[in-house]
Amino acid sequence: MTPVFLYALVGIVLFSIGLYGLILYKHLLRKILAINIMGSGVFLVMVALAARTEEGVPDAVPHAMVITGIVVAVSATALALALMLRVNEKTGQAVLPEDRET
Amino acid sequence: MFIDSPHWITAIILIPILGAVASFLWRQHSVKLALIAATGTTTSVGILSWQVINSGVQRYELGAWNAPLGIELYVDGLSLSMLLVTAIVGFAISIYASAYFRDDKTNFFWPLWLFLWSALNALFVSSDIFNLFVTLEIIGLSAVALVALSGGVDAITAAMRYLLVSLLGSMLYLMGVALLYHSYGTVDMALLSLRTEMIPSMWLIMGLMTAGLLLKTALFPLHFWLPSAHSSAPAPVSALLSALVVKASFYILWRLWIVVFPLNEYARADLGVIFGILGALAVVWGGVKALQQTRLKLLIAYSTVMQIGYLFLAFPLASVMGWKATLYFIMTHAVAKTAMFMVAGNILIHKGHDRIADLYSTVQNLPLTIVAFSLSGISLMGLPPSGGFVAKWLLLEAAVVSGQWWWGIVLLVGGLLTGAYVFKVLGYAFIQEDSNNAPRPIGISKRMEWMALCMALFAIVLGFIAPFILGIIDIGSPFTKGVL
Amino acid sequence: MEEIDLLLLFDAVLGFTLVWLAWQTLSSLDLFRAVVLFIAFGLLMALAWVRLDAPDVALAEATIGAGLTGALLLSALAQLSARQKHESETSLFLRLTLGVLMFFLLIGLGYIVFSLPPQALGLSVEVAKNIELSAVANPVTAVLINYRSYDTLLELGVLLLALLAVWSLGSASTRKSAFVNPVLDLLTRILVPVFILVSGYLLWVGAFAPGGAFQAGAVLAAAGVLLFLNDWHLESKYTGFALRSVLVIGLVMFIAIGFGFVFLDRVFLEYPPELAGGFILLIEAAASLSIGIILAALFLGRDPSVKSDSCSDIDTGVHK
Repeated sequence: MTPVFLYALVGIVLFSIGLYGLILYKHLLRKILAINIMGSGVFLVMVALAARTEEGVPDAVPHAMVITGIVVAVSATALALALMLRVNEKTGQAVLPEDRET
Repeated sequence: MFIDSPHWITAIILIPILGAVASFLWRQHSVKLALIAATGTTTSVGILSWQVINSGVQRYELGAWNAPLGIELYVDGLSLSMLLVTAIVGFAISIYASAYFRDDKTNFFWPLWLFLWSALNALFVSSDIFNLFVTLEIIGLSAVALVALSGGVDAITAAMRYLLVSLLGSMLYLMGVALLYHSYGTVDMALLSLRTEMIPSMWLIMGLMTAGLLLKTALFPLHFWLPSAHSSAPAPVSALLSALVVKASFYILWRLWIVVFPLNEYARADLGVIFGILGALAVVWGGVKALQQTRLKLLIAYSTVMQIGYLFLAFPLASVMGWKATLYFIMTHAVAKTAMFMVAGNILIHKGHDRIADLYSTVQNLPLTIVAFSLSGISLMGLPPSGGFVAKWLLLEAAVVSGQWWWGIVLLVGGLLTGAYVFKVLGYAFIQEDSNNAPRPIGISKRMEWMALCMALFAIVLGFIAPFILGIIDIGSPFTKGVL
Repeated sequence: MEEIDLLLLFDAVLGFTLVWLAWQTLSSLDLFRAVVLFIAFGLLMALAWVRLDAPDVALAEATIGAGLTGALLLSALAQLSARQKHESETSLFLRLTLGVLMFFLLIGLGYIVFSLPPQALGLSVEVAKNIELSAVANPVTAVLINYRSYDTLLELGVLLLALLAVWSLGSASTRKSAFVNPVLDLLTRILVPVFILVSGYLLWVGAFAPGGAFQAGAVLAAAGVLLFLNDWHLESKYTGFALRSVLVIGLVMFIAIGFGFVFLDRVFLEYPPELAGGFILLIEAAASLSIGIILAALFLGRDPSVKSDSCSDIDTGVHK
C-alpha cells in the first residue's frame, strides 16, 4: 500500500470516529472536538489522494481547498466555543437540554 | 450600456457584502447603510432578471479562468427564481426589521443579515460544488448568530444545536465533494454531469451528500433542530430561516439530483419514492404537531416542517411539471411564511407574548396583521386564487399525469391540517375581550403591519401571475436532464 | 529498498498514532487531557501533511489548526465551570449499534477510496500550464489567490463573520486579569517582534515557496495571543473604528482590486498578467493583516470597544 492510500484510510477512520463521537458524547466540548476530527478526516482524504500525481508535484487544488477548510473550521470552532460558554452560563452545564441529567 | 453590463451577476453578491462591511464599520448609521445596501441588492437582482429574461442564461468565469481550473457562475430560470424570491423577501424583511429592532441588537443584525443575503445569492448562482460548501458555511454561521440574537436561554441552546447540526451536514457534504473531485477531476457541476457514471461507489457518495443536505433542509426525520431554532429567533430572523435558509440546502440537493448524480430517469423516479415518503411523513407529522402547539411561533415553525415535506413530493414524479410545482411551492411558501412570521412578530411586540389561547382582541388592535395572517393562511392551505393553490394544482396534475395520483392525497391531508391550525389561530384572534381588564397593549409601527400585509398580498398575487413566473422558471430548461 | 520500507513504517506509525490520539481525545474523561491530546493530534497532522508533500497545508495546520484552535479550546476550557465531566453511561446497545454503523460506513468509504486509480493527475496539469500567467510560482498560492480567488474572498468573509457572530453574543464572564509573570513578559517582548518578522517573511515567500497570507496571518495572530496572555490591552481610542477598519481591510482590498480591473475591461477577479504579481502581494498583505487581527480577536472573545463591568482597561506600557 502506498503512503497515499494509507493516509486516505486514516482519513476515513478519523471521519468515522468523529461521527461516532459527535453522536454519542454529550458534552459540548467533546462534540466540538468530534467535528474537528471529522474535518481533519475529510482533509486527509482530500490531500492524500492529491499525491497520486506521477511526477511528484502533487495537485495543488485540493491543497488550496483544505487550507480554506482549515480556516472555515477554526471560524466555526470559535463560534461554537463561544456558544458553548453561553449555554454553560445560562444553564449551568455545557450540554444541550435533551442531554441534561437531572 | 450600464444596464447591459455582464457584471451584475457579481453585484448581487458584492453589494450586500460591502453593505455588511459598511454597517459594521459605521455603527451609528448601520440601519441606513443596510437599507441602502438592501435597495442596491434588490435593484441588482432586478437588472439581472431583466437581462436573463431578455437574453437567456448567463455564465461568468471568475478571474477569466474557466472550469475546471476556475470557478464559474451560472444563472438560469431556476437560479433566477430563487434570486427573485430572496430579493423580495429580503427587501421586505429589511424594512420590517428596521422597525422591529429597537435596541442595540440592531448593530449586529444588519451585518449578519447582509452577509447571509450575499451568501444566499452566491449560492444560487454558483456552479462549483466546493464553492457551494463555502457559501453554505457563511449561511450556516450567520443563521446561527442571527438565532442567538434573542439572547435568551431558548435561543442560545437552539443556536448551539443548530450550529452542530449544520456543521455535521457540511462535513458529510464535504466528504462527498472530496470523493467526487478525486473520482472525476473537477468540482464544476456542468463538467461533473458529463463525467459521472453510475459505479457502485456513487451510491455512498450520493448518500453522504444527500444526508448532509437533508439535515440542513430539515426533512423529516432530520427536522428535530428546526422548531426550536425558528421559534426562538427574533421574528424577522425566523422569517429568513423558514423562507430562505432551508431552501438553500434544498436547492443544492435539487441541482445535484438533476444535474450531477448520474441516474437515469427511471432510477431517479424510483429513488425519488424515498423522498416522497419522507415528504408525506413530514406533511402529516408537521401538521399534527402544529395543531398541538400553544404558542404561535412554534406553530408556524412546525408549519414549515410540514411545507418542507411538500417540496419532496415531486421527486418520485421526476417530471418537468413536478419540478415547476416544487419551485412554485418554494416561492409561495417563502412569501407566505415571511408574512406569517411578521404577523407573529407584530403580535409578540403588541401583546408581549405569543400564546395562542390569549390572542383575544388582536383583530381590533391589529386589523391589518390579522388580514395578513388570513391571506397567507389561504396560500399555505392552497385555496384559490393564491400562489399556494397554483403550486398544489401543478403538483396534482404532475402526479396524475405520471400515474402516481396517490401523492395528491398527501396534498389533501396537508391542506386540511393547515386549514385546521390557521382557523384555530384566527378563532382566538377574533375573540372580543373586555378591554378594561386587558393589559395595555403596545402600539406597533405601521411599517411592520404594512410589510406583513404586502407579503401576504404577494402570496395571493403569485397565483395571478403564474404564467409569467412559469415562463421565467423555464429559462435555460433547468429541468430537462432529470425527467421521464 | 530499505529506505522505502522505513518511510512506509514511519507513515504507518504516524497514521496509527493519529487514530489513537483522536480516539483518546474523544474518550478522555478529563477535558483538559482531551484538549491537550487534540493539540498533539494537530501537530502530528502537520507532519502527515509534510509526508504528503503539502508544506503549505502543514504550515496552515500547525499555526491555525493546532495552534490557534488549541488556544481557543484552552481558553474556553478555562471558562467552563466544571472541567471533569463524566459522561453518563450510554447504553451498550447504543454504542454497539452506532459502532456497527460506523464500521459499515468505514467499509463503504474504504471501498470508494481503494477503487480509485493509483495514479491520477487531477488538475495539476492545468495548474502548471497557467502558472506563468498567474504571476506566482507557488502553485497553491496561484490557486488560492488567482485561479480560485473567489473562494478565498468568501473565506475572508467567513472569518469576519465568525468574529461578528462571537461579538454579537456579548461578553461572557471575562478572563480574570492574570498576575503578569515577568518571564512571560520578557518572552513576549522578545517574541512579538520576531513573530511579526516571520509573518512578513511568510507573506513574501508565499509567492514562490510554501507560505502565504493565511499562514502569515496566523503567525501574526500568535503574536496577538501572546500579548493578550500578557494582559496587554489596546488603547481605547483604537478599539472602535480603527480596529474595525483593520478587521475589514483584507476583504475590502480584495473586492476593490478584484473589481477595479472590471473598469479596465476585464472580468471580476481577473488580473492582467504583467501587473498581477504586485497586486496579488498587495491583496495578500491586506489579507494577512486582517486574518491576523481577526484570529487574535477571536481568541480575546469579546469586543474591546465594549466596556465590560469586571475589568478596567489598563493601558500598559507595551504599545504595538
